Amino acid sequence: MGKQLFRYSEANKEKFLESDNITFNDGSVVTPEEIWHYLTVEGPEKYPGTFEINLYQGNRASRDETLPTSLKTHYLGLTFSERMERAKDKGKSIAFIQGGQAVDPYTAADTIALRPFLVGQWYHGREHGNDINKSVLRRKQSKEKAFHDMSFEACQTGGYEHIQSGNLRVDVVAPYTVLRCSDVSYGVEAHRHGPNKEVKLFNVDYPLRYQASKPWAVEYFAQNLRRLVKTLDEVSGRKTTEDDLLKAIKLHNEGRRLGTELAELWWSADIPPTNSDDRLSLVSLANLDMHGDVQASLSVLKEARNIIAERVKNGVKGHAVTDNPKRIFILGSCVGINDSRSEDAGAIVVGKDDQWSHCSSLVEEEGDPFYNLAKATLEYPYEQSIEKRAEWTIEQIKKSRADGVIFIHNWGCNTQAAVARPILDVIKRETGIPTYIQERDLHGLQHEQEQNRVNAFIEML
Amino acid sequence: MPIKTLEIIRKRLEERPAELQTARQNGQKVVGWVGYNVPEEIIHALGFIPVRIAVGGDDRLVEVGARYASSKTCVFIREIVGAFAENQDPYIQQTDLLAFDATCLQNYRAAEVIEYFFKKDVVVLAVPRNFDWDEAKKYFAHEANEFTRLLEERAGAPLDSARLAESVALYNDIRETLKSIYTFQASRDNVISWEEVYDLIQAGELLDKKEYLSLLQQTLAELKELQPNPVIEADDGDSRLFISGSLIPRGDRKLIGIIKSVGGRIVGDDLWSGILPHLDLDIKEISPAGVALAYLNRTPHAALPYLDLESDRRLKKLHELLSTSKAQGVIYHTLRYCDPFTFKAKETKNVLAKSGIPLLEIHTEYAGSDYEAMKTRVEAFVEMIRIKAEFVEEEALLANA
Repeated sequence: MGKQLFRYSEANKEKFLESDNITFNDGSVVTPEEIWHYLTVEGPEKYPGTFEINLYQGNRASRDETLPTSLKTHYLGLTFSERMERAKDKGKSIAFIQGGQAVDPYTAADTIALRPFLVGQWYHGREHGNDINKSVLRRKQSKEKAFHDMSFEACQTGGYEHIQSGNLRVDVVAPYTVLRCSDVSYGVEAHRHGPNKEVKLFNVDYPLRYQASKPWAVEYFAQNLRRLVKTLDEVSGRKTTEDDLLKAIKLHNEGRRLGTELAELWWSADIPPTNSDDRLSLVSLANLDMHGDVQASLSVLKEARNIIAERVKNGVKGHAVTDNPKRIFILGSCVGINDSRSEDAGAIVVGKDDQWSHCSSLVEEEGDPFYNLAKATLEYPYEQSIEKRAEWTIEQIKKSRADGVIFIHNWGCNTQAAVARPILDVIKRETGIPTYIQERDLHGLQHEQEQNRVNAFIEML
Repeated sequence: MPIKTLEIIRKRLEERPAELQTARQNGQKVVGWVGYNVPEEIIHALGFIPVRIAVGGDDRLVEVGARYASSKTCVFIREIVGAFAENQDPYIQQTDLLAFDATCLQNYRAAEVIEYFFKKDVVVLAVPRNFDWDEAKKYFAHEANEFTRLLEERAGAPLDSARLAESVALYNDIRETLKSIYTFQASRDNVISWEEVYDLIQAGELLDKKEYLSLLQQTLAELKELQPNPVIEADDGDSRLFISGSLIPRGDRKLIGIIKSVGGRIVGDDLWSGILPHLDLDIKEISPAGVALAYLNRTPHAALPYLDLESDRRLKKLHELLSTSKAQGVIYHTLRYCDPFTFKAKETKNVLAKSGIPLLEIHTEYAGSDYEAMKTRVEAFVEMIRIKAEFVEEEALLANA
């Protein structure tokens, strides 16, 4: 007999049906009725693990059934794998990228850009019927394949396990390398010895050491972006123009502006208008890459911005948020703490530098779009010197009124781990806010020790 | 028969820290450099005394370094950071400023951490990852000029072209002499071992360059006298091993000692801390950009990604050096969290297997706790190579019978 699964309550259906459609890149539309049907009938059958009644471990995107946009992000997550398969069937190009970068040039070249998490989501979403334990086990098994072919000390394996061993139809592996992470760079290189000879490889070389003020460095990175677009065009057979890139920049700037507005609205509220999970899933829509469809992300983001504004105006408290929660800001690599368990312990996550750095960096719209994009990318606060990065982080901490800061990094993430202490050192010195460093492993269910430390920190706050 | 000049070099190394102290009292500045693509000739031509900061083998310092740069950083970098934290290393104590490159991202992070915590004046040379592109070379030429400008500021004088030409000529002579000496260690009935040559190479990272060249020339003269006609042969009864992978700096002799203790003979290396940086460095133009580009055009460091396996110059160079040294197997040394090399271990093993060359990966750190486990594995590898060589010899005899 199967486990009893969570079902969205019919009591919220009527309100949800009044919400907006999602519009996709190809102009197609999905209505709230169709989304509701998927979330209540099709989704639970295909992905029972996501619907397990398990507040602590489940990966259901939201626990707030009254927040329509969160149900929509859940829908976009659940349908991700089949949407990618459909996109491939229609001849769309797909690229593997890095998590901490914007995707403007890929959008310009009509290519779907997938960060490592999304490549995994596509791969694992192809298999239906798994409970949460089986799903986690499967992820760990596929990661082991990559460790075997590369290094067991790898944090990030460049999607190797799915693109090489798993035959995922990714056309090109072309991330911005060494931006926030060095493992992606080695991961990209590892594809050269894999069995999949079809996948094209390209390095977008992000020059190191605070290069934004050097015209030759900006020009070099701009050349990398030009070559990237050319490579993407070779895959798709199209011809991307400067005007296409400018249009993409404008589109992504709209996402970045909306995301910034949404985050600032959220921060301005005395009472948190959503819980931590919902805040993150909505703010991170700003990069428009999170669901493999920039227009879909944009349409949900627009709606989310209005809903959050309404909630802030009416003093609505987010689902499961405790009274006067301790506000935590997360720094570090592409991972976070367990939000729901931390909320149970009396906290709320109010920000995360990793997602936020590139989402809040606008690109100049006048002039050479390649140069402008290169300059904006080299100015990402996350990639600056220890002092500059800390200075920007302190601004975000102050805006979000955080009470404590956790620098968290994955096992094997030497790039972020190496600067954890000095960055926290500056933050502590300048703000007096308590901080600590936490290391974690990917794809596990047993994070009791990790949560013990988080809870102790919250208690101390 | 011992090489007399090697004794002189050992003695000069003991005297060197005090000598640096005196030089500094007389107004000279010492630049500690860390990296693979740092153009040392520029530092030298500006009148600085260059010393390479490369220490290893001390797990206590690794622990100290981890407090500043995390336990997830490679052990070599952790030890360097630890050494700066303690400030007991006689060479680190004498540095006025530091020059790092960003070839390896962890190296670059070490520069940031040392700059922040120990308030050191650090100049960093950025290094492009798409190093074979024309655009990358243009970018790197700009970076080399910028690196020089920052050093000129600290030197208080501009770089003189004639002095740069002198430095380039001096370093070229050093490289040529080292290459000649290197041939002797791999030869039959060798009078100098690979270990001695390795120490000799690393002595050059610290000694005065003119004196070092003179000592190398003396060493070479002695070698020629002792062994007028060195011949490198595969069937000289030794298990001929080649060391590849993560660097093995001064102070770290664990693996090298183990190989020797189980009867293996090292006949070659392509280590960052060994002969490799001295090979194929062809400076075509006497300018900061000319020197720096020559560094970039050498065999690339494993930290710089290259996306086509077939035309990878690092692997081509490995094959070439294996062939020259007549090595029968490769010990691939990887340090804990040294991603540039650990990520390539399996690939390198597979590539060499196609040429019939076995590879043993030894993954280690500076603690002594894995000594016996390493010894067992290396011993088995050496024995396997010896048996294989004997088998090949027997087969050849039978075929000729």
